[in-house]
This record gives sequence, structure tokens and C-alpha cells, in this order.
Amino acid sequence: MGRAPGVPLLVCAFRGSPQSPRDVAAHVGAAWGEAPCPVLVVDRHGALVRLNRAARSLLPRACDGDRLDGIAPAWLSDAHRHVVEGTPGAPSGPLTGAIDERVFEAHPSPSTDGDVVWWLVDDTDRRRAEQALHHAQERSGVLAEASSRLLSTLNVPRCMEETAAMAAEHLAEAAVLVAPPHGRRHTLTYARRGGPVSQVTWKIDPFSVHGLSEALQGFPPVPARWIDPHGIPDWLLPEGFTEPPGSVIIAPLPGHGVPAGALVLLRSGTERTFSDGEEAFARLFAARAGAALSAARLYTEQAAITATLMRELLPPTLERVHGVEYAAGYRPAKDHERVGGDFYDFHPGADPDQETVVVLGDVAGKGLDAAVLTGKIRNTLHALLPLAADHQQVLTLLNGALLTSHHARFATLVLASVRRQGGHVRARLTSAGHLPPLIVRTNGEVEQVPTRGTLVGALPAVSAQTVEATLAPGETCLLYTDGITEARGGPLGDEFFGEARLRRALAECAGMPAEAVVERVQMLAAQWLGGGRHDDMAVLAISAPKNGPLSVVGGEPSQIRRSR
Amino acid sequence: MTGYFPAEFSVEITEHPASCTVRIAGELDYDTSDELVEAVVGHLRGRPHTGEVRLDFTGLTWIDSSGLSALLMIHRATSALGAALRLDNRPGFLDHRLRLTDILDHLTGPVTPAGLSAPGEDGDQSRAGAR
Amino acid sequence: MSQVAQAAPHRERLWDAVVAGDEYAGVAVVQEALTAGLDAEAVLLDVIAPVQEKVGEEWAADRIGVAVEHAATAVNERVVAAVAHRAAGGADRAPRGRVTVGCVDGEWHAFPSRLVAEVLRLRGWRVDYLGGQTPTPHLIAHLHHTDPQAVLLSGSLPTRLPAAHTAITACQAVGVPVLAGGRAFGRDGEHARALGADAWAPDARGAADVLARGLPRPAPAAVRQVVDDLPHLADQEYTLVVHSRGQLVKQTLVDLEDRFPAVRSYSDVQRERTAEDVAHIVDFLACALYVDDPEVFSAFLTWTAGILEARGVPARSLSAGLDLLAARLHDFPRASRLLDEGSRALAARPGDLAAGPGTRV
Repeated sequence: MGRAPGVPLLVCAFRGSPQSPRDVAAHVGAAWGEAPCPVLVVDRHGALVRLNRAARSLLPRACDGDRLDGIAPAWLSDAHRHVVEGTPGAPSGPLTGAIDERVFEAHPSPSTDGDVVWWLVDDTDRRRAEQALHHAQERSGVLAEASSRLLSTLNVPRCMEETAAMAAEHLAEAAVLVAPPHGRRHTLTYARRGGPVSQVTWKIDPFSVHGLSEALQGFPPVPARWIDPHGIPDWLLPEGFTEPPGSVIIAPLPGHGVPAGALVLLRSGTERTFSDGEEAFARLFAARAGAALSAARLYTEQAAITATLMRELLPPTLERVHGVEYAAGYRPAKDHERVGGDFYDFHPGADPDQETVVVLGDVAGKGLDAAVLTGKIRNTLHALLPLAADHQQVLTLLNGALLTSHHARFATLVLASVRRQGGHVRARLTSAGHLPPLIVRTNGEVEQVPTRGTLVGALPAVSAQTVEATLAPGETCLLYTDGITEARGGPLGDEFFGEARLRRALAECAGMPAEAVVERVQMLAAQWLGGGRHDDMAVLAISAPKNGPLSVVGGEPSQIRRSR
Repeated sequence: MTGYFPAEFSVEITEHPASCTVRIAGELDYDTSDELVEAVVGHLRGRPHTGEVRLDFTGLTWIDSSGLSALLMIHRATSALGAALRLDNRPGFLDHRLRLTDILDHLTGPVTPAGLSAPGEDGDQSRAGAR
Repeated sequence: MSQVAQAAPHRERLWDAVVAGDEYAGVAVVQEALTAGLDAEAVLLDVIAPVQEKVGEEWAADRIGVAVEHAATAVNERVVAAVAHRAAGGADRAPRGRVTVGCVDGEWHAFPSRLVAEVLRLRGWRVDYLGGQTPTPHLIAHLHHTDPQAVLLSGSLPTRLPAAHTAITACQAVGVPVLAGGRAFGRDGEHARALGADAWAPDARGAADVLARGLPRPAPAAVRQVVDDLPHLADQEYTLVVHSRGQLVKQTLVDLEDRFPAVRSYSDVQRERTAEDVAHIVDFLACALYVDDPEVFSAFLTWTAGILEARGVPARSLSAGLDLLAARLHDFPRASRLLDEGSRALAARPGDLAAGPGTRV
């Protein structure tokens, strides 16, 4: 029997102890009639026996003797029939239903004479409160999701896609994000609930839509009720949105001082229109989306500026030129940076008879500050190339150009002028206070080039000695910075890689092409470091190729074995 | 990851009647060189005389190019004041670096009135070292 | 004749060219293979890739030296470039989408990832190839910039698996799915799964197929911490072993001298080689602790034993190192178990030189 398991206390208070409603009427009299909740007494045939005052005001047309199904909603008269007939399978929870605008829980108390007393408890406010709470939770859930989904990406198109997709999922049937114009073109991102997200860029007229141009210009938003849904042009409807729109919200996306775009939310005419609450929430969502989109746009702009400025500072790509192999590798001290205080540059000769000039060096300091100075040095050296026949003169002029009283940030470097002569490679090498180059002979011997000189950029005058070296086929001259030899780590964790280890490693590199030597040295230094912190590291190799450009089948294996 | 932690860097300046000693201990590198320059230049500004400045490297454990740069700045300051600079108790690695970069003679040479006398830098000379 | 069978003679000739360090001969071999009707993908994967694999095997067996190994790899790189250059002209213009191909931070074996990049290009993808030794912050900056459909992350060194894990979670946190590949991720991709990669492929063709099927974007909101994937890390054994690496190596060397007086007469270079061997053991132990897989450690030990024996060094020293480490780490239950299983794997070794985890010594 589907009687409510517990009649609420409020009801009990008025119900009193007697079981029979007629007794209730007799004993409680006026008090029963004054009960604030509606009470109906209905007989087994479904006729109204009696109503209290509250019940009369709820059902004004009802009179004693009326049939219940004539004056009350079906859910109540059906429930009465179930109670009277004892139909099995009647609902076990409290019966609930609407009467007019309000929601009631109905609690039946059958009496011995077959009448049923129906106590109706108004549940509307609790329901509304619960619903409001549910909405609030749902919305804060949506906002939390919006934040994490939007903040995870710094890619502008992606951020717009996520915004449109989430808006279509949670706020409307379809959403269109209109980005601020690029020239006269706008990027539009379309999303439909359950459909794919698409993006196009084309020329549109935002003034043709009331509310859109205002949103894109940063004016206060136009309330949804002022926007005529019939005035929405086709280009603002996502593909597959076939019904004519019935209601529209256009929410501005606030940005960092400038609008980040506008979010158009659409519902078709067959759906309910947007409520004020939904409109307010849409603005809240748009504010989050605008903040995320602005951050992504700012990052993109900054990254583009950095990339432009950095392009000049990035190390160049080296290659085989005029029968000589060149290769280089660079690793900045900080893994999140691309430039630092080590540098190298490469100026191929105009023809095979001209010397190719390479330089590798190191300025004191780290990061962007140091990198800017390397840029200055590279530019100055580039300008001094016509004088490269005399390294000493180039260094003197470079020194003068770098001298400043504000700091003693000097540079050390090695200049090399390289040319192929017959099968051999001749290199004029000059160190300006830098680690002398190492030459790997084919027999595995490693020699230090005895050039030395003063660092540049700190002293009033500098001097240096140029040394000429010759590389036979398969031999390599290595220029490197102290980041390699001062790499700290190794199996014990706190040792320097050191020159001795570098020499031992190079001895194994006899006969290797320049690229492979650079890779080998970089790899060994990196392995030595493990995960430890390190300074900038640069390596540059100049090799006389083992196989001349004309020999197609050179280099017998025996030669390689010997050079191991 | 290697568990390497550098020794504590310290600068200790002692004033004598006709000279002062700067004891430098630990690693003089990118992270610590500014501290040394500020300490020494700050001290020299308040000094009543121009006796020689001795940098004592007994406790030095490491020096990098930023450290050398700091020595050059100190040299500019002492030269501008007409004080001689001495580099005492140099460990091998320091000596190696000074010789490699060819600045040992410059740092410890006879005092010239101006620290910096590059052509075309006349306007800067008077300010050199007095920053 | 199938493309694979057709590739065999070209493979032999390319091997001769790369071992000779002869770039011109190598390029000529692949040009002929292409002219003979082998398609570019088959040249990359059935001619060049097996030759590169053989370079590693021959080095491990001490039949070629480090110099030849590096020179051969450099020649192969140029051969790949030649194939790519020739194929670039004929590729049909049907862009399938954009993907990023890169290596785990600290990974030096970029060659496999280069092959994958070229194969994907041949199949119509727009590929950003970042090469070896890509710091993870650069990879993530690149993803923000380009928003690719997927990242293909290549790794051959098991010791870089913790770095791979960092990269995988970082990529997923910006909403880009990760397809992991390479020897480091396990024979059946078990480590790729353990580290939460969205997919794994055994080779370049497999990777292309996975991409063709499409990879869903990970929910960017689901940012994870490493212990979410690997709860066993909470015992701190991995952390402590990594932190005390230098100390462990030093102590083990001292213990070795105590136990084997002959070690005292080692030259500096010999001493350093021994220290490096012990450090390698500790590195692989740490890696096995990270992924909680004894197979990682045992495979390294048996492989190293093979390398040592190929060079006439008895593998006994490895077992001794394990014993000494076990004594030092007896308070670490997982590490002790791994060392124990490692010792047993060494003892049970059949003595052949199976392809194992790649370490260039």
C-alpha cells in the first residue's frame, strides 16, 4: 500500500491523534479548518466530502460533493483511486504534482469508513531553492571547466574553438565567436551542440547585426530582449542550424583594455527563450573566455616579437662550403632559452679561392643580456670581414668598438680563416683570450693550436698571434667554449669534464665528418652533465673531407680501421 | 640532480695603514661577481688614502668569465683612484685563466692615472671606475 | 617481388657505403633503388632503417668503432635527406593535418624520429620536426605556437623515461595527444601506457596508421601529477637513489677496492670507466624504480654484460657491483628486489647478444 512513509511534522500537528477525518472535523473543528496547508477529505467514490479553507483557496471552484477528478489535476485523482483500490505498484515515495504554479506533496491518510484525508504540503519554495542550488553548482562547474580548458592553451585559434564548443555545450544550442577584425576580416568560430567546431575568416559587416558591432567595439552589451532574432544573417548561423533562431544573446568578450571578441549564443524558435539568469551567466562565461583569449593573444604577440628579435641572435646553420666541412652545435645554459653568451658565426668565401671566415666565442654573462652583446660582436665582425686577411687588425678594431666604461663585459673568441688547397685545408687561427683550438690528426693524435692573445672589449689595447694549421683529409679542427670543459658532473657527480677528457674523446673522432665530431662532443658533454646545471656550450668543427667531392667510391674500410 | 652545491661565497675586507686586503672565498662566478664589485668599490669610495689593494684568493674555489669581468671592474676602480692592485695567493685555475685571456699584466701592472684610455673614449675616462 | 624482398640488395650496398663513410656512394644507392621502382617509404624503412639498426648492433659486438658508428650515422642522415628531397617534388598536395615529431629531452638518438618525420611527410602530413635533444619547454612553446593534432615523442634510452613522462603530461596539459614510440617505451609499449601516453606505435608505419585513425584530444582539465600515474613513487626510493647517485657510486668504488685489491692498481682511465659502469647501473636502477619494472634493469644488465664480453671484459664485475649496491641499499625494499632479480638475470644469461636498451658508451 503506497502510503507516504512519514507525514511531515507540520501535518501531524494539525492532524491530531484520531484516525477518522469526520472525527477530526468533529473534535478539532475550527482548528482543522484553519490549518495552513490544504486538506481535502474524499470518499471512496472520489467525491469531495469536505475541504478546509486553504484547500478552498487553492481550488476555488470546488464545492462539497464535487468529483475530485473534476476539480483537481489528474495526478491527485489518479492517486486517490490507487489508494482506494489498493492498486499494487503504487509509488512508494511522497506523491508530488503541480496545482497551478505551485508544487505539492500529497499525503493520504485512509480512515476506517473508506474516506481518505489528503494533506497537501506546499513544496514549491524548497524545490525552487534546490533547483537554484543545482543551477548554481552546474554553473560554477561550467566556469571551473571553462577556466581549466581555456587556460591550458595559449594558442589563439584553439582558445576560440574551446570557447565556442563550451558555449554550445552548456549555454545555448549553438554559439559563434566573432574575433576582432584583422584589417576588414574577422575570424568566426562556429559550434553547434553535438556538432563539429569550424573556423573561417572572411569579410563581414558587424554593423548589420544589432548588438554585434557594439560588442566588438567595447560598448555596453545590448540586452537579449532588444535583439531581433529574425535579423540574424545566415553567416552568423553554424552549418546544420536549420531552424530560424528564436532568441539570441550577444555577449562581449572583455579583453586587456580592448575587446577580445563577441560571443553570439543562439536558440531556435522551438526552444525556450533565454532567461535573464542565463543572460547574466553568459556574460560571466564571456568574461572568463575573454580573459583567457587575451592572455593567449598577448603570449602569441610576445612570442612573435621575441622570435623576430631573436632571429638575428640565433646561431647560423653551417654546411659544407668550397670543399671544407663545417658543423656546429649550441646549447644555452637555460633550457627555456634559445640564446646565451656563447656564439659562432659563418661567412663563406665568395669563391673557393677566398677564405671562409668562422668565429666562435663567449661573452661574460648569461641569457639575453649576453646574447645582445654577441649580436653586436657578430655584426661588427661581419662589417670587418674585408680586413680579415689581418686578424690582429680585426681584433683591434673590434676591441675598440666594444669598449665601454659601463661594464667590463668582455668577449673571448677564436677567429678562423679557412681555405681548401688541393686535398688539404689551410686555416689561419687566432685566439683572443679564448681556449686554443684542438686538431684531431688521422692517427688519433690531438694537438693544441698554439695561438694566444688578449680578450676583447675590456683593455685599451690588445695583441694576438695568428697560427696557420693544415688539415689532411679526415682531420678536424675543433673550436669550443669552456661550457664543454667545465661541464660539471660525471659518474661521481661533481667533476669537471675537463680538457683531458675532451682530448681523449677527440682521439676517437679521427676520420669522422665534422657533423659527427660535433654531435659526439655535445653528446659526451651532455651525458657527463646528467641533469646538472651548466653554462652555455658551443662547439664548431672544421674538417677536411675524407672523400673529395669528385670521388664517388672513396674511403676503403682499411683506412677507417687505422684511424680508430 | 647531481647533488652538487657550491661552497659559500664570502668577501672580507681588512684595512691596514697603507693598504687593504680583500679576502675572497668560494666561487666567484655569474651569481657572485656583482657582490664582490659592489663590496670593493663601495669600500674604496670611503677610503681616506690610496694605498694598494690586495685581493687574496686563498679561499677561492672557482672563477668563471663573469668573475674575471669583476676583477677588471675592480682594476678600473683602483686605477681611477691611483691605487695599485695585487692579486695574491692565486690558485692554478685562476692563473690559467688570467694567462689565457692575457690580462694578468694589465691587472697587476704599474698604476696609470686613468683606468681606461681607449681612443675615442675621452669623455668616459674621467668617469671610468667611479660609477 | 615484394618491396621488402626487393630492398635486400640495396640494403647490402648501402651498408658498404655507410661503413666506408661514403656519403656519395650511399646517396647513389638510394637513388638507384628509387629509380628501380622502390617507393620512397620502402627505401626509408626497408633499406635505410635496417642499415642504421645494424650500425648499432655491429658497434655493440665491437665489430666497428665509435668513429665508424658516428660517421655511418652521419652518412645515413644525408641519405635520408636525399630521399626526402627527391620525394618532396612528387608529393601530392593533400594536407592531412599538422603534427610535431620530437625526441625526449636528453635523447641523442634522433635518427628513428627523423625517419618517422619523413614517412609522415610522404603520407601527406605537415610535419614539424624538432630533432634530438629538444628541451621540453621548447616543445611546449612549439605546441602553443602551432597547435598540432598530435606529438610523436621518440625515445630510445630507458633512463630518459622520467623525462619522457614530464613531456607527456606537459603536452597533454595543453590539450595535445602524445603518440610515443621507440625502444625506451618497451617492446609492447608497456612503458608508454604506464606513463599515460595517448597511444604507442612499434614503428614508423604503425605510427602513421595510428595517426590516420585519429587521436582524440586529451581533456586539458585533467592535469596529472607523476604519482597519479605511478603511485609507487610515493615510497621515495626513486628520488633517494637519484639524489644520492654520486655518493652511491663513490661508496661502491671504495667497496670494490676493498673486495678486489686489483682495482687499487687501476689507471685513472680504468678507474673512471669503472665509475661510469657503476653510474650506469645506478641510472638504470633508478629508471627501473621509476617505472617499477624489473625487466628494464635486467635487460640493461644482460645487454651490458654482452657489450663487456665482446670487448674481452668479464661480466663478473657487474655482479660484484650489484652485490655492493645491494648492501648499500638494503633499506630500500623495491631497489633490493630489483638488484636481486638483476643478479639472477645475469646468472641465467644464455650469453647471446640480444638487442637491448641502447646506450652509447
